[in-house]
Amino acid sequence: MDVLTQIVTSGVAFALPLLVAAIGELVSERAGVLNLSLEGMMLTGAFAGVLGSVTTGSPVLGALAGILAALVLGAAQAVLSIRLLADQIVVGIAANALALGATTFGARLLLADGKGQDVAGFADIKLPLLHSIPVLGPALFSQTALGWVCIAAIVAVVIVFSPRTVRGLTIDAVGEDAKSADWTGLPVRRIRYLCVLLAAGMAGLAGAHLALSEVRSFTDNLTAGIGYLAVVAVIAGRWRSTGVIVASIVFGVAQALQFALPAVGVDVPSALLIMLPYVFAIVAVSGFAATSRAPTCLTRPFTRGA
Amino acid sequence: MNPALSVRGLGKRFGHVHALGDVSLRVEAGTVHCILGENGAGKSTLCNLVYGGYAPDSGSMELAGAGYAPTSPADALSCGVAMVHQHFSLVSTMTVRENLLLGSRQSRVPAGELDGRLGRLSDEYQLEVDPSARVSDMPVGARQKAEIVKALLHDPKLLLLDEPTGVLDLAEIDALIATCQAIAASGRAVVLVTHKLGEVARVADAATVLRGGHVAGGGRLSEVSVPRLLDMMVGREASELDPALAATLGVEGAQAATEPEPAAQDRAATAPVLELRSVCVRRRDGTVALDGADLSVAPGEIVGVAGVEGNGQSELVSVLSGSIRASSGAISVDGVDITNASPARRTALGVGVVPEDRQAEAMVSELSVAENLYLGRLGDFRRWGLVSRKRMEEAAAERIAQYSIRADGPQAPMRSLSGGNQQKVVLARELAVDGLRALVAAQPTRGLDIGAVDHVHGQLRAAAQEDVAVLVVSSEIPELLAFCDRVFVSYRGQLLGPVDPSSEDAMGTIGQLMTGTVT
Amino acid sequence: MTALTRRLGVGWSWRRHPLPVALAAIAAAALVGLVLCLIAGAGPGQTISALVEGTVGTPFAIGTSLNAASVLILIAGGFTIAFRAGLVNVGGEGQLAAGGVAAAAVGTTLGAGTPAVIALPAVLAAGAAGGALWAAIAAYLRVRRDASEIITTLLLNFVGLALITLMVNEPSLLRQPQTSSETLPQSSPLIDSAHIPLLGLDSSPTTVALLLALAVVLALGIVLRQTATGLRLRTVGLSPSAASRLGMPVARHLFVSLTTAGALAGLAGGVLIATSPFVLVEGFTSGYGFTGLVVGLLARGSMLAVIAVSLLLAFLTSGGINLQLVAGVPSSTVTIVAALITIFIAGAAAQGAMTNFSRRPTPAPTPGPAASAPTGA
Repeated sequence: MDVLTQIVTSGVAFALPLLVAAIGELVSERAGVLNLSLEGMMLTGAFAGVLGSVTTGSPVLGALAGILAALVLGAAQAVLSIRLLADQIVVGIAANALALGATTFGARLLLADGKGQDVAGFADIKLPLLHSIPVLGPALFSQTALGWVCIAAIVAVVIVFSPRTVRGLTIDAVGEDAKSADWTGLPVRRIRYLCVLLAAGMAGLAGAHLALSEVRSFTDNLTAGIGYLAVVAVIAGRWRSTGVIVASIVFGVAQALQFALPAVGVDVPSALLIMLPYVFAIVAVSGFAATSRAPTCLTRPFTRGA
Repeated sequence: MNPALSVRGLGKRFGHVHALGDVSLRVEAGTVHCILGENGAGKSTLCNLVYGGYAPDSGSMELAGAGYAPTSPADALSCGVAMVHQHFSLVSTMTVRENLLLGSRQSRVPAGELDGRLGRLSDEYQLEVDPSARVSDMPVGARQKAEIVKALLHDPKLLLLDEPTGVLDLAEIDALIATCQAIAASGRAVVLVTHKLGEVARVADAATVLRGGHVAGGGRLSEVSVPRLLDMMVGREASELDPALAATLGVEGAQAATEPEPAAQDRAATAPVLELRSVCVRRRDGTVALDGADLSVAPGEIVGVAGVEGNGQSELVSVLSGSIRASSGAISVDGVDITNASPARRTALGVGVVPEDRQAEAMVSELSVAENLYLGRLGDFRRWGLVSRKRMEEAAAERIAQYSIRADGPQAPMRSLSGGNQQKVVLARELAVDGLRALVAAQPTRGLDIGAVDHVHGQLRAAAQEDVAVLVVSSEIPELLAFCDRVFVSYRGQLLGPVDPSSEDAMGTIGQLMTGTVT
Repeated sequence: MTALTRRLGVGWSWRRHPLPVALAAIAAAALVGLVLCLIAGAGPGQTISALVEGTVGTPFAIGTSLNAASVLILIAGGFTIAFRAGLVNVGGEGQLAAGGVAAAAVGTTLGAGTPAVIALPAVLAAGAAGGALWAAIAAYLRVRRDASEIITTLLLNFVGLALITLMVNEPSLLRQPQTSSETLPQSSPLIDSAHIPLLGLDSSPTTVALLLALAVVLALGIVLRQTATGLRLRTVGLSPSAASRLGMPVARHLFVSLTTAGALAGLAGGVLIATSPFVLVEGFTSGYGFTGLVVGLLARGSMLAVIAVSLLLAFLTSGGINLQLVAGVPSSTVTIVAALITIFIAGAAAQGAMTNFSRRPTPAPTPGPAASAPTGA
């Protein structure tokens, strides 16, 4: 495979789970809840996915287990930040630590002796004809079944929660001006709960995809920062779907370049490529064209009468 | 026939503060019922209870004869109760249409039918709104119309309006009154919460007076006279009230004392303390807020600036206090140019400012009374590099006594004080500016109870006696007329006038200037 | 006690730092921990004895914990200063990294004969400067471009960590001379005189960093509570518009407070570099930045609480290491317990973030809330 195809393929492969998680997080942030625990949710999804696949032998059940496990973590995060009014940043970081600890512990216990390697995963499904298109073909049209589910999920969420729908408007209102939304009769807390659960479910899906479609194993800290990068993608995308998609792809390509460039003999320190997504996001948020700002109520819990 | 709303023995406490105690009243369908009371009497709390914002501690409510106990605004809306909030419940970054769509599940108006409904409402009640306008771009009057439309889309049986006239100009007030009467005529019940007796006389079929959280009386306007209502509200007769005080309530007060005004002539001759020359200010979005404003205030003069939001008077105060910069023109105090001076420098030159937004700008609610009084001059209490809290609190205690501020002591947090007492603290601080030469007060009596309003007027007059140049910006025209030596009108960024308050039909002239019909 | 702490100015208040809640959280998390250890094959007795041995059993254990605590105290202390001004500094990890890089740069280039009296302060000062510079980027963007510091400092963390990678992998930068293919990507060792001296307690690795951290943080605590600057900082944090109206230079206060927070984290980075093994290497930050952030958020403005929580978490981590060595319990157990303690306390404290994520430019005052106190109007 020539270098360009390789870059595009691995770029898309990296970007897909990132985008799945980011699109879910976008909805949650639009509603005003920041989930720094996205990393933990993805990791949990990956672990549960592998565990499920190992125990039942079926990758499908594994994927479902992954989504479910992430939902549980998401529900806990939701109760803490929305009902108990806990600080969203503290909860996010602590949840990540908890997930890292728990999955490492769990892996030692349940996936020891190589059980977590070469797990029954999903096989590539190559779309006939389409996948032979040079460069883009192998990247876009050769996904596993779970990968197709991911793509479908992304498209579904973008359409269903678009700011042009009343549903999307409601979410934006809750994140922008929760007090007015409440006075208008909107169930602010319930909406936030649901959005957090959506983000969690998507993160679980992303984690399961990473574990079962791409690497087909579980190692400690498998996600290694993809979750944080997903939050960054939402920021870099200025809280708009198109922006988030573009940002995720750029981040995926940057990641791919890290390995591809040295192979071609271009001597760029990989560290600079690692920095790229974050610098990109900093520039984006420094608002040189302050069109899209963070939702005003982001990270602020809502209580009536406050 | 069951009344539209019946409230019995309603009570509500916040901590150990009794906001409402044993309130009972009846609102009949097809009428406009005013809930009257000075600021702090409990009117907004009552509204919030009816709309489901809080739950009452005691008592019960009935809507058209059926028990009514809403747990949230959504509950209230589904029972047919809608509210027009004082500070609006519109999301400012969205358009009107988007805001109306937000509540569409509750109002059961599908998106496609929205325009049709808007058209019908516009015809029936003369409430035109531009659905594609962004709320943050709209002037206050238009926003209020959108807020009313939003409420009406729910086809409510009971409509609550919380102090709707404070932000409107005279023409808009007339329109609002007509709208309320039309809504009532269509069989709904309208509850209008206000502290302006004058409005009550014009619009109400019946009124209930709240005082100190309790019902002080009420009844049908055909049976209860306006002076009676005033008596219930404040326990005094109109003729006993200071004219400026009466003006804030919308009634005629005692005859203004006809002191000879030779001082006025002399004052005009002395050099002005505060001077603005062709001051222009641009807003962040580029539109012009002040367009060549000219003003001068002599020592001992009280100059008023009337006008409603959006005409530049907020920016006038901000450019004087230093929180925004003028894009052109000159401002000076005692001849010293302060156009680009920092707020600290202006204070040093003797400019005191009482800002409009008390909560956000005039004070820090989490800090104590002492801290709020002396934050600008902590250096006075420094010893070996550390601030002596003890001395600060002692000094604060003196101020508290001097200005009769009701607080639990100098270390009490500002937010534990009532609005009136908070304003007293702010005034005390500004009046204590070393070498005070000019005092700028923006909406100084807004939201205050009668006692506090009286206090503020007294302090402003006393300052003028001490040859301080006083500038008052207010949307309450009768108040300005009763109390100022000259009144300007802020219209589209220019200061029109001045109008002599003692002239005949000063009110009318001002009204015309505010709508731009007379230049 | 409250009156005493108020006078001392260290900001402890029972209402905001409910000790019973903290104790309950620790107890609950400990219970979970014991169960986990049981699952991993270590009975409660074994677990507890290994923990005790690892935390206070040997002077070595205590010393290591205290060193770790010093780092946390500095970072969380810095966080608290910025927090007073209303800024949430999530960037401790990156500032730690930048400080470490700067400290290593100075510490490896100074002549080997430089006296300790110059070398050590130089290294530490470089660390503080590095961290301050790192935070200054975010501070500048906040003050000039209204960019939320929560986001920018978070992002700068990753850039800072990548900076370390860059430094230790490039021979032209800080990488030690490659003598063989096995030369590790790390910096050359610091000159001897730049090593932080030990406190000298019997066989304890405790360094003077502990004293440094305590002194700095307590001094800053007094500044925050008792000086005019501290009160002004607090005002800026509570209401920038009121602060501006009262004549305070808001932008300057914001910039200085965030930069100071960065300086303290950078100083911690310098401390880490100047402690064994005295080299700059990837991963030297070990998540201290994030843990310090958590300490800062839990401490809610009290320097005493900063010290207490730092000690707690540092000792817990040491105990965990021993648990793994002696009882064979995976160290992830301790990670879980620490995370649970944090979550329980955060959930019970019911405070919520006090800051705006996206600060809209303060508009010219509109006739907004005709404010009434809770008595209602």
